[in-house]
Amino acid sequence: MSPRSLILKDVVKSFELPVIEREATVSAAIRMMMECNRWSLLVPRKNKTDAYGIVTKKDLITKVVAEGKDPARVKVKDVMSKPLVILTNLSLDIRWVAKAMANSGVSTIVVFDKGDFYGYVTEGCILEGMYNALRRAKLEQGVDFVSC
Amino acid sequence: MELRDIVSDSRHVKIKSSATVSDALVTMIENKTDFLLIDRDEPNDAYGIVTRWDLVEGPIAHGLDLATTSIMEYARKPLVVMNNLDLDIRWVAKKMANEGVSKIAVFDGESFLGFISDVDVLKAAASKVKKTRGAKK
Repeated sequence: MSPRSLILKDVVKSFELPVIEREATVSAAIRMMMECNRWSLLVPRKNKTDAYGIVTKKDLITKVVAEGKDPARVKVKDVMSKPLVILTNLSLDIRWVAKAMANSGVSTIVVFDKGDFYGYVTEGCILEGMYNALRRAKLEQGVDFVSC
Repeated sequence: MELRDIVSDSRHVKIKSSATVSDALVTMIENKTDFLLIDRDEPNDAYGIVTRWDLVEGPIAHGLDLATTSIMEYARKPLVVMNNLDLDIRWVAKKMANEGVSKIAVFDGESFLGFISDVDVLKAAASKVKKTRGAKK
């Protein structure tokens, strides 16, 4: 039941994010999100000293749609978050993962294990992890878990 | 100018998470530092950080009793980390702006290299200006 026992390693997911060019328009980004069924896209760097960027559904909604801008004219590079928010400690308690998201105002965090890319953790991953822990705890108590 | 050029100093002073604000102030002044690393209580815990500004802006400005206020109320936790040493300092500055912090922990793979502060970024920018001026002369 206690979500405190969860650590970053339990909730992180290793998948590759779809890549979108920095000069692409926001409408192209929306299309790519729908086609790939992912809510964040990685923006590659120009050279070695550049930073990677990330564009999420939240960026598109708050910086384009809510501002009344035309998605066909706004470019991805103007709405993306850059540089990436990263975590490197896989045994971090889930509370601090959530806190890192809250502090920096992002919804996707890139996870590195000893300098190598490991995966991503999103808001959805955290909720899913909490839900699974809750269900496990109920099962251990012998209560049939009623899913909605 | 890249991140690896400005990371130099890995010195830092640790403090327990149960410390009060007055403990932190004394530790800062005795060690001549402007930030303290807050130690973790258990292996899955995160490190925290508290800077001089956090103390001035929080408990001191609010007129709280420094001897009873816990340091954790004004600490920033977890740390902001970076691990790409090739990154241009422009993006280091951007990271500080995005997160609203002045200290970033830098790791190279598994090893901890040190903290970079806003002052380090300013120094790097200043030396860049000097170089371009020298070239003009």
